[in-house]
Amino acid sequence: MQLSLRRLLHNRIELLLTFVVPIAFFSVFALIFGNGIGSGTTPKVKVVIVDEVQSPDSTAIVESLRNSAGLRLMNDDTQDEALSLHDASDMVRHGNVTIAIVLKPGQGEAIRSDLLADASDQVAGQVVSALVGRELVIAKTRQAARARRTMVRRPPTGEATATSNPLVRQQSVVPEESLDPSELVQIVDVIGEDKANPVVSMYAAGIAVMFLLFGATGGGGVLLEERENTTLDRLLSTELTMDQLLLGKWFYLTALGFVQVCVMFVWGQYVFGIDLRGHLDGFVMMTLVTSSAAAAFGLFLATLCKTRGQLNGLSVILILTMSALGGSMVPRYVMSERMRELGLWTFNAWALDGYDKVFWRDLPVDALLPQLAVLMIAAVGFLLVARALAIRWEFD
Amino acid sequence: MIYAESPALEIVNLRKHYRRIEALRGVDFELGRGECLAFLGPNGAGKTTLIRALAGRTRPTEGTIKVFGHPIDSIGARQALGLVPQDLALYGDLTTRENLMAFGKFHGVPRRELKKRIDWALQWTGLTDRARDLVGGFSGGMKRRVNLACGVLHQPKIILLDEPTVGVDPQSRERIFTMLDQLSDEGASILLTTHHLDEAEQRSDRIVILDQGRVIADGTIDELVLSTVGHSRLVRVRVDRPLTAPVTVPGDGGQRRTVHVGEAGRDLIETRIDDVTVNLGPFLKAVRHGGYVVSDMEVQVPSLHHVFLHLTGNELRD
Repeated sequence: MQLSLRRLLHNRIELLLTFVVPIAFFSVFALIFGNGIGSGTTPKVKVVIVDEVQSPDSTAIVESLRNSAGLRLMNDDTQDEALSLHDASDMVRHGNVTIAIVLKPGQGEAIRSDLLADASDQVAGQVVSALVGRELVIAKTRQAARARRTMVRRPPTGEATATSNPLVRQQSVVPEESLDPSELVQIVDVIGEDKANPVVSMYAAGIAVMFLLFGATGGGGVLLEERENTTLDRLLSTELTMDQLLLGKWFYLTALGFVQVCVMFVWGQYVFGIDLRGHLDGFVMMTLVTSSAAAAFGLFLATLCKTRGQLNGLSVILILTMSALGGSMVPRYVMSERMRELGLWTFNAWALDGYDKVFWRDLPVDALLPQLAVLMIAAVGFLLVARALAIRWEFD
Repeated sequence: MIYAESPALEIVNLRKHYRRIEALRGVDFELGRGECLAFLGPNGAGKTTLIRALAGRTRPTEGTIKVFGHPIDSIGARQALGLVPQDLALYGDLTTRENLMAFGKFHGVPRRELKKRIDWALQWTGLTDRARDLVGGFSGGMKRRVNLACGVLHQPKIILLDEPTVGVDPQSRERIFTMLDQLSDEGASILLTTHHLDEAEQRSDRIVILDQGRVIADGTIDELVLSTVGHSRLVRVRVDRPLTAPVTVPGDGGQRRTVHVGEAGRDLIETRIDDVTVNLGPFLKAVRHGGYVVSDMEVQVPSLHHVFLHLTGNELRD
């Protein structure tokens, strides 16, 4: 026991992995879910409203929803043209908003609502449904109150007498059952309704990106092993240059990562019903670019570190943090705005957004341009920094 | 192009500074064509720095290195060099053939010749039957042989070996030197660093001794012996009891003068004798005349070991 303890005390990396890494990782999760930097910024659901009723009551509902603390209204009717149902549905499909609230005329003066939702965010639908349902019930109550006042002012007629019973009057103006908010609001899944097991593809992407990063840093670590056992020295004494060496490793890690993700998704297709064949072009583009970015990141970390042990410690902290922030472990929609913004500094977030567009939103490949561009820039950037850091290994 | 007159390697005023440490302080020497040169020196003398500079792995602060008359950084110079590093710089998780193939490609061996060269290397190292085995499971001697083969697969004209036999048994050492002799016979120039002085003495044509970043001796073993300890033999005689006083060996009235050998209180007498055939007899006669009986005697021929210690001293160089 003494021997083991003494060896541990002499090994800084081991000490770091034993005591610091768990604390660091715990702190990251505490910041995501606890009272850290994410506090006070409860995630607001991005919505648009399509008002097909265009009545004073519906306008009041829109205004009330605009002021709701839980919603962020992304269309402003005072400046923009009124949003059509088709446009709103497109916004949901493209991920610009989570839900489109469509106010529709119901029976009589009643207003009901369809929520065009992205079912991948399972929390938002319930939150918005509750908020909209509440507003609809309030509106109905107001309508009922108005109706009562009208009835009181109106002189009694035979017809009116027939309906003078308050219960009968209420049924004619505001049907009793429609006061139940759940019956006034209907959630319409505009993305996932025709898909077979669509959410699995998102989890597959999350796991795939995380393991791509682990695989790439492990592969990059070979460079440090070669340096430690002087094989790198020998390689560089041949006709091989550092440029060729790094590019060779980058191509290899990219190809390996690509095959790794392909195998995973093929398994997903046959076992869990992921529609890989239907999204092959987008999948290939995203996987190729994500693999190349992960490979470059692995080489960057390897050239940044002095020893394999150092790389192991650093990569565990960074990859787990990036995966947590970027949505590989926890869906980003449960995070606060601040944490979501932070997540955009990880390429997990960009990669997952890309896979989300391919498998979940069925968007064409040109919609992947922002994600592909960011990941490609990251790949080139990491590779250039890795090359610059490797200069110190070329000569003493 | 190779100039007919130029040596294989020509090193002039080579200096290398590592911040405050001066690893090489103006090294000058040549390696002739087809010559086998042993490079000796205590730990930290600068041998590995020199090898690294020759292999293009470190940039000298000053000085020039020429390979067959051309600067080391000229096209083709690197191809003329083959480095066999001190550490086993191999991939343990690849087979012998795969290691040879990888390093052959990195050294620029054309694809059409590669198989032939690998077959030669396997035969040369005696590892044909282990071609498909992972190198990680080999003995130290076998790994050394593969290490050597990977450095010469491209048929370099100059082979740089940094302690090629460190940590191997005598049989493997013998095998490695037989392999090097083969390369030497084929015309390769060999520069090897070693701590095995007997190896350097027996296997090299010339010896260069480096100490504290400077060349302190350069020549054949005979030249080095003559210029340092001389050809006198060290004679050690153990007697039956401690001396009461130093033994007097009388002169012959000619070239041999009267000398006093040994110390009072010690039973071991050490002296140097220039010509044992003439002077050993009078020395032993003087010992017996002093009333002592010789119980043991040793005559040591001057060797590289004596030269090395004479030049570099007995102090540890850790």
